[in-house]
Amino acid sequence: MQTVDRQAQPVVAGKPEANPLREGLRLERMAEPCTMVICGATGDLTERKLAPALYNTLLGGFLPPEFTVVGFARRDLTDEVFRQHLLDGINEHSRNKPVKPAIWESFARGIEYHHGNFDDPVAYVELAKRLDRIDRDRGTAGNRLFYFAVPPSLYPEIVNQLDRAGLAANGDRRTTGSKRGWTRVIVEKPFGYDLDSARTLNHEMAEVLDEDQVYRIDHYLGKETVQNLSVFRFGNGLFEPIWNRRYIDSVQITVAETVGVEGRGDFYDATGALRDIVQNHGLQLLAMFAMEPPIEFGAEDLRDEKLKVLRAVKPMARADVAANTVRGQYVSGWVEGARVSSYRDEPEVAPASETETFVALKLAIDSWRWAGVPFYIRTGKALPSRVTEIAVQFRRAPLALFSRAGVPQIDPNVLAIRVQPDEGILLRFGAKVPGQGLQIRTVNMDFRYGSSFAVDSPDAYETLLLDAMTGDASLFTRDDEVERAWAILDPILEAWAAGEGGPLHFYGAGSWGPPAADELLDRDGRAWRKP
Amino acid sequence: MNDRSLSVTEEQAVHRRLMQFGADESLATPMWEERETSVRAIAAHLASLWDAPVGLDDGGDRLILEKGLPHARASVLNLIVTVVDGAAADRVVHTLMGLGVRHPSRAIVLVPEPDSDASPLDARISTHCHDATGGGDRVCYEEVVLTVRGEAAAHLSGVVAPLLIHDLPTHVWWPGDPPFGDPVFDQLVEMGDRVLFDSADFSHLLSGLRRLGTLRRKSGVGDLSWERLSWWQELTAQFFDAPRFRRYLPNLSRLRVRYAVAPPTSRRHDEDDEVAPGVAAPMAQALLYAGWIATRLGWRRHRTLEPMKDGGFRLRLEGKHEMVDLLLEPMPTDAVRPGELLSVRLRSLGETGASEFIIDRDRDDATVATNCDGMTALLRRVAMESPREAELLSSQLTMDVVDPVYEDALRAAAILLASAREAAA
Ligand SMILES: NC(=O)c1ccc[n+]([C@@H]2O[C@H](COP(=O)([O-])OP(=O)(O)OC[C@H]3O[C@@H](n4cnc5c(N)ncnc54)[C@H](OP(=O)(O)O)[C@@H]3O)[C@@H](O)[C@H]2O)c1
Repeated sequence: MQTVDRQAQPVVAGKPEANPLREGLRLERMAEPCTMVICGATGDLTERKLAPALYNTLLGGFLPPEFTVVGFARRDLTDEVFRQHLLDGINEHSRNKPVKPAIWESFARGIEYHHGNFDDPVAYVELAKRLDRIDRDRGTAGNRLFYFAVPPSLYPEIVNQLDRAGLAANGDRRTTGSKRGWTRVIVEKPFGYDLDSARTLNHEMAEVLDEDQVYRIDHYLGKETVQNLSVFRFGNGLFEPIWNRRYIDSVQITVAETVGVEGRGDFYDATGALRDIVQNHGLQLLAMFAMEPPIEFGAEDLRDEKLKVLRAVKPMARADVAANTVRGQYVSGWVEGARVSSYRDEPEVAPASETETFVALKLAIDSWRWAGVPFYIRTGKALPSRVTEIAVQFRRAPLALFSRAGVPQIDPNVLAIRVQPDEGILLRFGAKVPGQGLQIRTVNMDFRYGSSFAVDSPDAYETLLLDAMTGDASLFTRDDEVERAWAILDPILEAWAAGEGGPLHFYGAGSWGPPAADELLDRDGRAWRKP
Repeated sequence: MNDRSLSVTEEQAVHRRLMQFGADESLATPMWEERETSVRAIAAHLASLWDAPVGLDDGGDRLILEKGLPHARASVLNLIVTVVDGAAADRVVHTLMGLGVRHPSRAIVLVPEPDSDASPLDARISTHCHDATGGGDRVCYEEVVLTVRGEAAAHLSGVVAPLLIHDLPTHVWWPGDPPFGDPVFDQLVEMGDRVLFDSADFSHLLSGLRRLGTLRRKSGVGDLSWERLSWWQELTAQFFDAPRFRRYLPNLSRLRVRYAVAPPTSRRHDEDDEVAPGVAAPMAQALLYAGWIATRLGWRRHRTLEPMKDGGFRLRLEGKHEMVDLLLEPMPTDAVRPGELLSVRLRSLGETGASEFIIDRDRDDATVATNCDGMTALLRRVAMESPREAELLSSQLTMDVVDPVYEDALRAAAILLASAREAAA
């Protein structure tokens, strides 16, 4: 008799084996059945980011049929109204729209609204009952993902209340309800306000949750290019050997936004560019760029390596802050053809605000690999274009060989890794202009992901939500990383607050920041790239 | 020049209409066309294409210029397609343009006409640049259509080799019924790192499946009919992701697959149909699906219950714990393309009780349900749009590895078909 199968796997009755039908399928990653509880489900983040991310994840086939959403917020809404709220958010902000009615209706049956105040214990007791019912009815197996889409000041309250209602523990430690399943919590940035507050927050969360239950989101890490950075560095033999002080002259990290504060004036005025961007995105990009190869691409190894880089970044002495930082604030100007009023005239911004909307820094990494290589970081609002990139300037050729032939110094080679928009990699090098003479010109070799692999990259929130549902924490920040990042920035914040960190400079909206930022590099004989 | 081929303007119109992968803008340069040309002339033209700014097209649109510098492009793939005649070449070009930004960097479409004594080599080359969504990113590519006549048609690989972009992977796509065993076929397959077919086009399905099973390419063999199944496979696998349902798998006792065949009288008139009307082997997909389940679950052939008749059959297989009845049933319908699956039902009996796992398709949607012990759990609607040929092609082109799950399913499909046939004979 012929057999149709050569390597049949044994299937033992009763004991669940891996699903044999999954082998080799395109969708290797599928969220586990779970309930996602969105705390703050009527807010802006839910509407703009979470609802579209869930819908696109669903369309991609990554959500299991059991998947259930519970929205939790203060307003008294019916399930119907809440579903409509999500639907509106998707139809407005999703990359796939409009929503397909039949699909939505079927998905919407698994969406509920839980009405309550975050400080009301009864609301959590009711929530616990609801989740148990969902586990029974929909087969979500006791798995729960809590998304804190609320201001960070509310985190401790919610965490404590969850604990009291028996909702914070992983299944095996639960004292009530389902004894199976995991509990995970996603929290938004900003995580803390300075080192002290971040420590306090970590501590308060740690009283209730284990670190491996906490997923601190930094949506930059969910971006495709940031992940490609590792592939680029460690997957190609060409770059790693030159990724060090011998060959690299300096590194510039730019996170430029064209927008102003966009209606979040009160939040921004209390925060500023250093806390809002550098503490998380800026230092995370730096860490991903500069880290040693991890032993394995598991969450802990990766985060261990990033932490090592951050630990090698020496916090500045207060006295050095003025020389190594520049802070700026925009005044009225033109951005992308539209008039922008001064920061101080924005709603909810103090009329004499000293908050920085621009910052440029020079940092050093004291490690074997990077000693002596300056890392310049700049970020700002109301800049001329929206761009995030890491630019590596290589050392010049050791000998100006062609100057004897009358050719001036050739520009140093630059490798620019663009994170957004136009994800890609650009290499600048000198080439001989065709012809009899020796004329050398700088040319760009431009590689864009979009023009080679034209795939619709998933939005960062889609990637990260799915990661959390499958329990992959690699792209989330760990407690010690967050604290170390604050430790690097604390002296700067203190010096500025004490008026010792140099003056606040003003720059016109639509310019690349104050002239002082150029002087910061000029002093070292370098200049910012115009991305 | 073949009178059935599209004119340049028509082609551009088609092109614009087809750019549906989130298209913003696509720019096509005027077509370069030369009769009685030579491989060397074509190669020279291809080499010059991206050298210099091309200027403006007749509509005054900006062309391949960027920041005043000639556009440097990133290339990822060569594709060679062989077709039977000019009309088929047009259909292929049509499909390729539907790939939009996922178009291979260079596509060469070959139209061999061995019996013609007209000029040995005619060529037309069109280049396209396409702005991907989000602005900035631009994908540029070219299509080369070569009509090769007379003796040269027996040496196609020699014609194509100098025209490929070097150091890139090359995929070979053979739409229609492949001439297995023909030396020209062998030459071209030899050039491909990966070869693509559509087993639904095989006029002799059994021998075709067997041949496919013996082809060995570095980056594997692809089958558009297999690709069409991927959403069905995903939905099927989802039933058993939850451990509480996984225990039903060893006790499956019946698999019924229904697939569409054209109704005897009516003809489907579909403007957008990219493939030649009619499907040679509508059973291919259903067989591959059955082969897939059978190999994943380790079912073995046992006995033929009802031999092949009008495209349907019934076999008994030996499962892990139970005997399994496998039914393939053709259903005449106009609703979907012949060959597409219409319904899959997996039934399990055993100490765990009776249960059924159901996917029923209804044009562009499907109902997915699990029935356990008379209770319907998790009834839901999911999208089930037939992917366009361009979409199938595009995901097959991005694969570059041997797919052992497909190879297993392919071998099993041939065995299942052979058993149903032998008994009939
Ligand atoms: N918005 C963004 O684009 C964005 C981007 C990055 C990070 N984030 C972060 O994401 C978080 C949420 O931001 P957001 O803009 O979505 O905030 P938001 O619009 O102010 O929404 C706050 C949500 O919390 C609920 N809420 C507040 N206090 C409550 C209480 N005592 N009891 C019950 N519900 C309460 C509100 O419910 P009611 O409306 O029913 O009162 C609302 O649903 C913040 O940490 C923010 O920093 C937001």
